[in-house]
Amino acid sequence: MGERTRQALPSVLSVLLSLVVCWMLIAFSRDTDGLATATAAYLQMLWGGVGDWPRFLDGAPITVLTRPLGEAAMKAALLTLTGLSVAVAFKVGLFNIGAQGQMLLGALAAAVVGAHVALPGVLHIPAALLAAALAGGAWAGIAGALKLYRGVHEVISTIMLNWVAVRLVDNWLVVGPLRGVAEAGASITGTAEIHPTATLPRLLGDMSRLNLGFVIATVAAAAVWAWLTRTRSGFETRAVGLGDEAARAAGIPVARRAGLAMALAGALAGLAGAVLVLGTEGRYPGTLGAPYGFDGIAIALIGNNHPLGVGAAALFFGVLRAGGTRMQLLDVHKSFPELIQGLALLFVAGRLIWLAALRRRSAPKPVTAAPPAPTAQVPHA
Amino acid sequence: MLEILHRLLFATLDAAPALVFAALGAVLSERAGVVAVGVEGMMRVGAFCAAVAALVMPTPAAVGMGMLAGAALAAVHGFLCIRWRSDQVVSGIALNLVALAGGTFLLETHFGPNGTPPIQQLPPLHWPELASVPLLGALSGHAAPTYLALLLPLLLQGMLTRTPLGLRLRAVGDKPHAVATLGLSVPALRWGAVLGGGLLAGLGGAVLSTTVLDRFEQHTPAGLGFMALAAMVFGRWTPMGAFAAAAFFAFGNALRIGLASSAPGLLELVPQGVLLALPYLLTLLVLTFQGQRNSTPASLGVPYEQESR
Repeated sequence: MGERTRQALPSVLSVLLSLVVCWMLIAFSRDTDGLATATAAYLQMLWGGVGDWPRFLDGAPITVLTRPLGEAAMKAALLTLTGLSVAVAFKVGLFNIGAQGQMLLGALAAAVVGAHVALPGVLHIPAALLAAALAGGAWAGIAGALKLYRGVHEVISTIMLNWVAVRLVDNWLVVGPLRGVAEAGASITGTAEIHPTATLPRLLGDMSRLNLGFVIATVAAAAVWAWLTRTRSGFETRAVGLGDEAARAAGIPVARRAGLAMALAGALAGLAGAVLVLGTEGRYPGTLGAPYGFDGIAIALIGNNHPLGVGAAALFFGVLRAGGTRMQLLDVHKSFPELIQGLALLFVAGRLIWLAALRRRSAPKPVTAAPPAPTAQVPHA
Repeated sequence: MLEILHRLLFATLDAAPALVFAALGAVLSERAGVVAVGVEGMMRVGAFCAAVAALVMPTPAAVGMGMLAGAALAAVHGFLCIRWRSDQVVSGIALNLVALAGGTFLLETHFGPNGTPPIQQLPPLHWPELASVPLLGALSGHAAPTYLALLLPLLLQGMLTRTPLGLRLRAVGDKPHAVATLGLSVPALRWGAVLGGGLLAGLGGAVLSTTVLDRFEQHTPAGLGFMALAAMVFGRWTPMGAFAAAAFFAFGNALRIGLASSAPGLLELVPQGVLLALPYLLTLLVLTFQGQRNSTPASLGVPYEQESR
């Protein structure tokens, strides 16, 4: 078994196990026809994510394929960006639980620039994206600075910053100073609608909601991969994550690498917020709803903190989550894919158990010590 | 004035117990060196199981079921983190996600979107001799958990600081190898603390659905578990400190709700969202300026390995 396979196997097995467990959950929650219902629900989830191929082959228009695929791609784009956010922080040895708050700030910044700044089309989108990345990066930068200068552990500080962001944005700014003005007495929630120039263009016209955000996420994943593996600063970042004592001894500016990686993590989460606002919502809605920031933790770990693994995990769960809405046809709540994802993360958390089991199977050739779990341990204060 | 203060105290004593229990659970677990990010999830399963159990059994027994449910989730955490030395933050986050999505699934499958059917709440206890005393009268008329929440921090503080078991629990969070050299089992002590923390977090959740509400609602506990973590940090990882912080947060919340109805003009100056963010902002400030008096358990989050030193 190759090293790469051995690294990826626990994640793949975890996802499969989670799929099986959740399938049984549906089956056992029914009094009659449990197995058939569970299988039908899974099929609906599949068709809802990759396109309704049976109906297409029966002569239905191509939109029965493009609409679900577009939804899946957009969910995957958001999961990719927040997953990358968590993964980049992991690479430098920090645990970014704050992607949710960073995404919120990014979404708000994109909504403000999109609605209150008038720019020509070619500049408006980049300006809104930049604002989002800066806002997210700055929010993460607070956690980075607290860690570097005051020794505050980032797990605690990012949890706190998440809630500060939620309260300040959702309970104050969006319902107060930044609330959109309703036209003709109609009441709206959230901020003012963004200008058309700031809207991410749709790639397939009216055939699906697939928009430029998917390209942004794909480019981001490729760029992070290239940065980590092909550049000096990326290499130094990984070295810091593997052991900051050794990195410092090798002359790597540890604090600068950690700070920059954290800011980049925040910028990526901020971009996720921008894609959500500029691509699908058109404004900062009353609340941001789906906790894509927390999903990012699951995606990063299931993707083994590798940019391409993150992309693969995001695509897979993007498909499942786009398909979740169709499970309602069988009275399964649309949040069901989140349960699959959560259980998969729980099984991935038991990575060392998988590795021990795999080692036993691949005996007699003994494998050297199991690699440590992707971990960001609380340092000695 | 006295009347207003009385009402604020009364509201605080009604709302605080869930937060106090969860914060105490987090303190217990983290003092023994095991990160308690999963408190939110343990509260959720505790709240759900208590609300469902109360449909078929007396409410006090249902609260017990909620506690057991919290401990069951904590057992998964213990299995992953103590037995298999997995990353404790990852495990805790995973438990939160599973509890969130799993709770929604079970709720929707069995009860529909409006929450579980209403149940018999825990009855309020009245102390007639207190009721006439100014301010102290606010102590009368709460359900049993309120009084437990006033008593338990003292007991836990005494246990941690004054008993051999408490010393061992604290030592296992600071220098587990020193504990091992005394011939004591590090895993056993940590298991005890994690399960105890799960019982308390489950109790916190159960209190939510049996006193504050009369059912399990979709969003329970809506981030209260994370506020419990804030209270734990704010209280410097001590039971009395966490209790004081939790009581302070709950009092601030009661004050905010009171102001919103009685003096809406004041909230024009200080928006509600800012007030809601205060517990977390204050916790960040405390962390920023604690300086040399850092009170984080020294081996928090570090898996224990017998051979490594």
